[in-house]
Amino acid sequence: MSNEWLEIRDQEISVQEIMQRIRERIGERETSDPGTRDTEAESLAEDLYHEMLGQAMEGTALQRRVRLWRNDCDIVPRHYVVDWRVPVLGPLHALVRRVINAEIRRYLYRSLEKQSHFNRQVLEAVETLARENAALCEEIEALRQTHAGSE
Amino acid sequence: MQVHQFHPTATFGDATSDQMLSLQRMLREMGCESEIFVERVPLHFEGRTRPIADYSRFSAPGNVLLLHYSLGYAAPVLEWARQVPDRKVLVYHNITPHHFFAGVNAVYMEAAQAGREQLGELARLVDAGWGDSPYNCRELAAHDMPHMGVLPIIFDQRRYDVRPDRRVLKEWGEGVNVLFVGRVSPNKRIEDLLLTFYYLKRHAGMDARLLLVGSWTGMEPYLAYLQALVQRLDLPDVIFAGHISAAALTATYRCASVYLSMSEHEGFGVPLLESMYFDVPIVAYRAGAVPETLGESGILIREKDYAAVAELVGLLIEDDPLRSQVVSRQRERLAHFQPEAVRPKLAQLLREIGVEV
Repeated sequence: MSNEWLEIRDQEISVQEIMQRIRERIGERETSDPGTRDTEAESLAEDLYHEMLGQAMEGTALQRRVRLWRNDCDIVPRHYVVDWRVPVLGPLHALVRRVINAEIRRYLYRSLEKQSHFNRQVLEAVETLARENAALCEEIEALRQTHAGSE
Repeated sequence: MQVHQFHPTATFGDATSDQMLSLQRMLREMGCESEIFVERVPLHFEGRTRPIADYSRFSAPGNVLLLHYSLGYAAPVLEWARQVPDRKVLVYHNITPHHFFAGVNAVYMEAAQAGREQLGELARLVDAGWGDSPYNCRELAAHDMPHMGVLPIIFDQRRYDVRPDRRVLKEWGEGVNVLFVGRVSPNKRIEDLLLTFYYLKRHAGMDARLLLVGSWTGMEPYLAYLQALVQRLDLPDVIFAGHISAAALTATYRCASVYLSMSEHEGFGVPLLESMYFDVPIVAYRAGAVPETLGESGILIREKDYAAVAELVGLLIEDDPLRSQVVSRQRERLAHFQPEAVRPKLAQLLREIGVEV
């Protein structure tokens, strides 16, 4: 922790005093539990980020795009929230809209779920094709190089 | 005088849409005719917005058209903006740098990149460029924008005059709650919030919840990563609340003990104003427009030392006089964003482009 770590522009609060208190608190914890400042959690967060999101940048341009299309497969509006702003009539209005929404959901969501399932299957097929395409491109390149070498 | 506004979309709870509604109210109070135009009128905004196709009926060289910009315009919209004879003002809400979306959403990544590239073209098209923070204006300055000025976000407290959701109050009303409000997006660095919370729970021994409020639509791979991290760190008290109603948001702020932001890119930071309004002390990483929005209030951190940030959060929760001092300074700061404080700034900016209101 450097001396410039904290910035409090309010002149009524002493930055130095706050920093001193924080140092003391950390010091107390380190005395009672020497593993307090371990960086295991930070390393875990970093490794996991690379494992789950870093790989999305690997492969051919088509493979990267296809991987990201996964997010768009699900077309069901799962995060729709019935909101209101008017104090008295608002909750009543929201209740009516919620009932209508629930009624629409009964038949519409079934179709949307079906479409989402179909989208996922199509994407899986596209992913397989993209993988095969990348492998074939590599094979052609290898053959081209062998052929150039033999000439 | 007619001063109209345009943005491709409108959604409740979105900072740009809320600013358009607040500006419309203010312009009408100032005696201007003012309508909001969008590409497609969302169902819940019917009556409040008009389709862009209707604009030809309103368009005139003497009018002013505020073009709100938070992501790139589609080619037909850009062409439409080019053709409109009105005096045009670009209202820049900033665009998240595209690299943050790498590995998460290719469409957003491309749109963010294209949006920034379009800024140069828009600069040649408009009569003025307004940013909602000096930080946003500095970005506009790089494109030689004419008549630049800061038009802050208007904090309309009527938006929060709803009865708080009782279920939320019951569920989170007791105990310590660390709150963050904002889209679940990589630029918000929610993993840093989790690491700070991990320290707070494990080493500082504080019994607390971390409430994360905000939509993750389009950010599912990032959410999956965060959820996996929560599982590996064994943090059952982390709550991904998603997009919630105004009543639930009001209740959540009432339950919050500290507002913590580790975000690395903010064009303004509306939740900072909301925290000021609900008297929640703010601890925020110094990035983007955050220091400008906070002014002399709140607490800024310059380095992400998770242990130190967690101890600072603990200190704010335990030390009542410190908390009161921070909250009282925040309340003073909020006055800068109240409609009565912003109205003269809007009038001044309009005067600079020759509009007397």
